[in-house]
This record gives sequence, C-alpha cells and structure tokens, in this order.
Amino acid sequence: MFSKSAAHVLRLWGLMLVVVSVFTVVAQDEVTLDVIGLTVPPDEAGTPLDISRQDFIANFQDANPTITINAIDAPPEFDTQIIIDLAAGTAPDVWYQGSGNLPNLVAAEGILDVSVCLDLVPELTLDRFDPNFLAIHQQGDSLWGLPDGGTPMVMYYNPEAFANAGVAEPSMDWTWDEFLTTMQELTLDSEGRNRLDPDFDEDNIVQYGFRVRHFLFEWIYWVWQNGGDVISPDGTTVDGYLNSPETIEAITFLRDLVLVHGVAPSPSALDQLNQQFGFLTAFLQGDVAMFPRGHWEMVGLRNNEIYTEDRVSIIANPRNVEGATVIYESGWVINAALADQPERLQAACALLEGLTDVEFQNSKVISGLEISANVEAAAAAVDVSEYPEISERFVMALADGRPDYSTRYAGWAVTIEEPINLMMENILAGADIEEEVAFAVEEINRELERANN
Amino acid sequence: MASTTHLSPKSKKNLWQKFWSSTNERMGYLFILPSFAHIVLFLFIPLGFSLFLSFTDWRGTNIYNAPWVGLDNYDFMLGDRRFWNAMKNSAYYTLLSVPLGMAISLGVAVVMNQKLRGTYFFRTLFFMPVISSWVAVSVIWITILDPQAGILNYLLSSVGLPTFNWLGEPATAMPSIVIIAIWKGLGFQMIIWLAGLQAVPQVLYEAASIDGASGWAKFRHVTLPLLAPTSFFLFVTGVIGSFQVFSPVYVITNGGPRGATDVAVHRIYLRAFEGFDMGYASAQAWVLFAIIFALTVLQFWVRRRSGEETLF
Repeated sequence: MFSKSAAHVLRLWGLMLVVVSVFTVVAQDEVTLDVIGLTVPPDEAGTPLDISRQDFIANFQDANPTITINAIDAPPEFDTQIIIDLAAGTAPDVWYQGSGNLPNLVAAEGILDVSVCLDLVPELTLDRFDPNFLAIHQQGDSLWGLPDGGTPMVMYYNPEAFANAGVAEPSMDWTWDEFLTTMQELTLDSEGRNRLDPDFDEDNIVQYGFRVRHFLFEWIYWVWQNGGDVISPDGTTVDGYLNSPETIEAITFLRDLVLVHGVAPSPSALDQLNQQFGFLTAFLQGDVAMFPRGHWEMVGLRNNEIYTEDRVSIIANPRNVEGATVIYESGWVINAALADQPERLQAACALLEGLTDVEFQNSKVISGLEISANVEAAAAAVDVSEYPEISERFVMALADGRPDYSTRYAGWAVTIEEPINLMMENILAGADIEEEVAFAVEEINRELERANN
Repeated sequence: MASTTHLSPKSKKNLWQKFWSSTNERMGYLFILPSFAHIVLFLFIPLGFSLFLSFTDWRGTNIYNAPWVGLDNYDFMLGDRRFWNAMKNSAYYTLLSVPLGMAISLGVAVVMNQKLRGTYFFRTLFFMPVISSWVAVSVIWITILDPQAGILNYLLSSVGLPTFNWLGEPATAMPSIVIIAIWKGLGFQMIIWLAGLQAVPQVLYEAASIDGASGWAKFRHVTLPLLAPTSFFLFVTGVIGSFQVFSPVYVITNGGPRGATDVAVHRIYLRAFEGFDMGYASAQAWVLFAIIFALTVLQFWVRRRSGEETLF
C-alpha cells in the first residue's frame, strides 16, 4: 500500500516535472517584441494603411508562432524621446526611424549593426533594396538598420499655371538656363504680361514662377548640381566648400530668383501668401507655379479641397554641371541592447526581413507618402499607382539622389544646418552673400573643431 | 519628592514619545520632510547632475561613457556668438516685458481695486489667460497678428495706420512676443498688485485728502511708495521669469525670423534635445543661472543702497 502510494506520488511528481519543463522550454522560446512604426494615429484607424499593417502583424505572428509583436504608438517628439528611452532602458526592440537621426543613435550606441541579421536570416538579402536608399544605412562596414522607403526632392509644378502663361512643360533633363527662362515666362502680372515683357507691372504680380525658401533641405542639391558642396567629405570643415565659388554661384542664382529676377516671392510676400491661403492652396490655384518638395507632399495636395489631377505634376530638378537631388529616407532599426539576447535578436531580424519584404512593402502605394526601398515593390507601385506618370518620375529622379547629410553627421541639424539656414534667410532678405557665408563658415568650423576633438 | 521625580511621566517615555512630545520645532521637521525629500530628489540632485554634465561632453545614452572635458564647454561658450545673441535677445525681451508688464498690470489692478460693478467678473476675466495653455494662447495670437486676416492689422488699417507682418519681420517679432507674454501674465501680476493695494491703510488717503492732495498726488506719494515691496517682488520675479522665456518662442516663432526671437532657453533646448549635446547645454544653463543670480543680487544690492531694506 505504502509503496503503491509512493509510486503514485512519484508519478505525479514526474508528470509535473515534465509539464514544468515543457512550459519552461516554450516560455524560453517565446519572444515578445516591442515595435514602434506599425500603428497609425487614432484618426486613421480602419484605413487601408491601418488594415495592411494589422494584416502584416497577424501574418507574421502566424508564420512565427513563437514571436509576438507588441505594436506601440510613436510618442510625440520621437527623435528626442527615443534617445531618452534608450538612456532609461525603455526603448522598443525595433522601431521605424527617420534616417536623419541615425548618426545621433549611432553616437549614442543605441542601435545595432544589423549586418548580423544577414547571417541569422538567410532570406534577408541586400539585393532587394534600391542602392541609393541602402547607401544611407551603410557606413563603413556597418549597416545601421534597413531602408523602408523615402523620396528624392523634385519640382512640383502646376500644369494649369504653365498653360495660363503659354509656357511648355519642362523635360526631365532641363538646365538652369531653361529653368530661369521658364520662371520668367511663368511670372505674370494682372495684365498677363510676363517678366520678360518691358511693361511688366511689379506691383500687381498674380502668378510667381517658383518658391525659394531658406531651408537647406530645399536647396542643397542646387549646390551639388553646380559641382559644389557645403562640407568636406570627411566632415571636418566647411571652409573651401560652403564658401567655394561653385557654392557661392548656386546661392547667388537662388538669391537672384527672388531679389533680381523677381520670379519667386520675397520671404515676406511668401509668408503673406501662406497666411492668406496656405501654400498648397496657393499652388493649386496658380499663385506659384512651381516648388521643390518630396513625395509626401502628394498626400497634402490630394487632400486639398481644390485639388484636381490637372493641377499637379512633377519634374526632376534642372541640371547645371551635373544632375543631383537629395534623398530623405526612413528605415527600420534594432535596439543595440538586443545584441546580448540571441533569441530576441533572431526574432527582430526575422521581423526586419518581413518588414522589408516585397509583400509588406507593396502597402507603400496605399500611403502615397514615399517610394518603397524595395526595388520590386517600387516598380510594382508605379503600375498600380493612381498617378503612374508622377510615380515613375519620382523613381527616375532617384537615380540622381544623394543621401541627406543629416544621415552622416551627428548633431547636423543644430550645429551645421541651422547656421546655414540662418545664413540663407539673411541672404534672401538682402544681406551680403560673401559676408554671410564667411560668418557661417567661421561659426560652423568652430563647432566642427569642437566635435572632432 | 524623590519618589515624585522617579515616577514622573517624562522619564517613562520611549524614544518615539520623546520625539513627539518634545518641542514643536522637532515635529516641524517631520512636516517639511515630504517637501524636503521632493526638493532634494527633483531639484538638488538634478541640479548637481547638470553641473557635473557641464564639465563633460555627454552626447550619448550611457553616462559612464561621458568624457570629462573640464572647462572646455565654458571656454567654447565664450566665443559662441549664437548663444550670446540669444542672451542679448533674452535681455531685450526682459527690458521690454518687465517694465511694460508691471506698468500695465498696475493700471489694471488700480481699476480693479475700485468698488465698481462687475469688478469680480473682470478680475476673473483678466486671470483667465494665466491658466490657459501657451499653445492655445499662441494659436489665438497667431490669428490676431496674421498680416492678412488678423484683427490687429484690420484695426490699424481702419484708422489709417500702417500694418505690419508682426511675426514675420525681425523688428516686430520680439515686440509681438512681448505683447503676447504680457497679455498672458497680466492676471497674475494684477493679483499681486491688488494684494499690495488693499494693504495700503485708508487713513493715509484720508490724511492726504485733508491736505488737499489730488488723485494723482495720492497715487504718486502714497500708493506707489507703499507698493515698493510689491514692485520689488514683481520686478525680481519678472526678471527671473523673463530670462527664462521659452514657450511662446518655441510655439510661435521657433526663434525666427532671422534669429530675432532666439532666446537663451530656446538655444539651450535646441542644444540639449535636438543636438543631444547635453554637456554643452548644461554649461549654457549654468551660465544663464549665473547671470540671473547676479542680476537678482544686483537688484537687492541696489535696493539696499537706496535705504529701503527695512521694507523686506
């Protein structure tokens, strides 16, 4: 009797041990990843974009039953918040990151070199990515995240405004000279006379050709088109670059569009136009015929009350010495803390593979915000786009694209871009170009010297 | 007698009882303990930490990797024209906003101190901006100051005066920010002035009236001198607050146009939270603190030199 009871107890203990062991093994294999970038704002709940993301999560979890995705909303001021979260140890495992913050995250040792994922997930290969987008994440031998999508800066134009001025629409390979002439012909007074007409009425301009603003991201590629640059390739100085003859010439060309040729509104006139109508409305109603912007602007334009297809088209930036534009991009990065957690790292790499795969990337066409970094998805998007010609031109413009410098240098926005923006703001207000550039060079070089010491 | 001493309740108290039944002063320490702990935890420790950071080049997330740079941040700041320009803008803002704000709020307080119908309603009305958020206030004022559709330009043009691009031109942007800040802070200053006004003894006004003093003479020679402590309080706190102005600049102009409203705290914010240059931003914050502290000490010194220290 005693031995029978003992055997029973032993069997029970054995069974419990097996159950506990099984649960332990399962628990060890199960991974929950905190992910930012797979939710939409509350007002977009139920939209096709939201549904495509939810479908992705569901499909990914079905295909990877040991991985659970905990999709978290992005907090406001994300680029600042993520640094704070990394310092506090509360950052997500994987997140969607504008590439302009990559150098700061690398400097903070907050993100992982995802080259390791190429070994962990054999399906993940780099040939799926557009090389222009991929280059943004490749620095030396390191791969700081994977590209998701982005846009080159292009010229938006209003075909109706061109027709109104009797000007032919530009071609993809137009030049600075052709650009200037076109802008002069597009700028009209209330009597319909253009800038080339000697009787043009300065006080009654009803249509401007172009918009020039002081923000570097809207004009750095004019400098590149002219064979110049704003900073040395090693990022140690702006002397000899920002103040080079090529750069000065490009800045002068842009300044003259406002102050000499009068084909773009002055900052004050532009400000008033913005206040009165909002710029996109002003563009769609033909007050300004052309302006530089990225793919994301399609969303704002199409949501505008007076949008019609006839009022929006895009063209590549005009060429001078060479063709060039700047690319703005976002991608997926992995928290550096996962380097010491093999199972979570494996899961995060699998997630990155899924996020950059053509199937999920096809959902890019739904948002209309950007071009997919996945070559196959980008090509497919052109075919199914509601504006195929525009989509095709965006992809074509990508060929001349160069990475935004904020993806290369930590602290770029405050120590380099901001002084250059102020420099250009003063120049467009009539300040002396040489003086302003010299001032900016001195100020930025002081910063660079400090940063590189 | 000896027996009484032996049996006295005092000698039988345990430590806890001894503490509580002791002087009120000791109990007082217990009462201030939560606040004291709060101040130590959320003020002194962060202050000490930021002082430490100001001697480092901390840009990352791991404080243990912060390189010690000694006084380099302070040395760099000496030649940082952008920072000193921001400091100059802060001083300009202070020079405009403190005296103007005090004068206008005093005027309003004097009116609100009269025994008129609806005074309480208007007091409430004037105080409402104080409890409104800066974002809401900013949106209201951006609309009012709109060069095309704003009511201010409409009123100016309707009486034949020139109109301005208030927030878009360097010359008018900072005065616009000052107007907005004064409007928002008016209610608070008005309440302080009202407290001061209501503390002025009526007998002094009666005596002045008997001496034949006019209304202005009573205000000039009775009210103003007796409001000196209030004036000093508002002046000192106004200067301190003005040098720390940030919200309207951040929300309305973001430092523009052409750097005209780029004030010191905005610059510190940009360095810290957009450039992630925490070490240098901390050094800037400590220099700002030193300047504000020096100005405050100077104000007390001037006050003492004028022989009015007994008022405080």
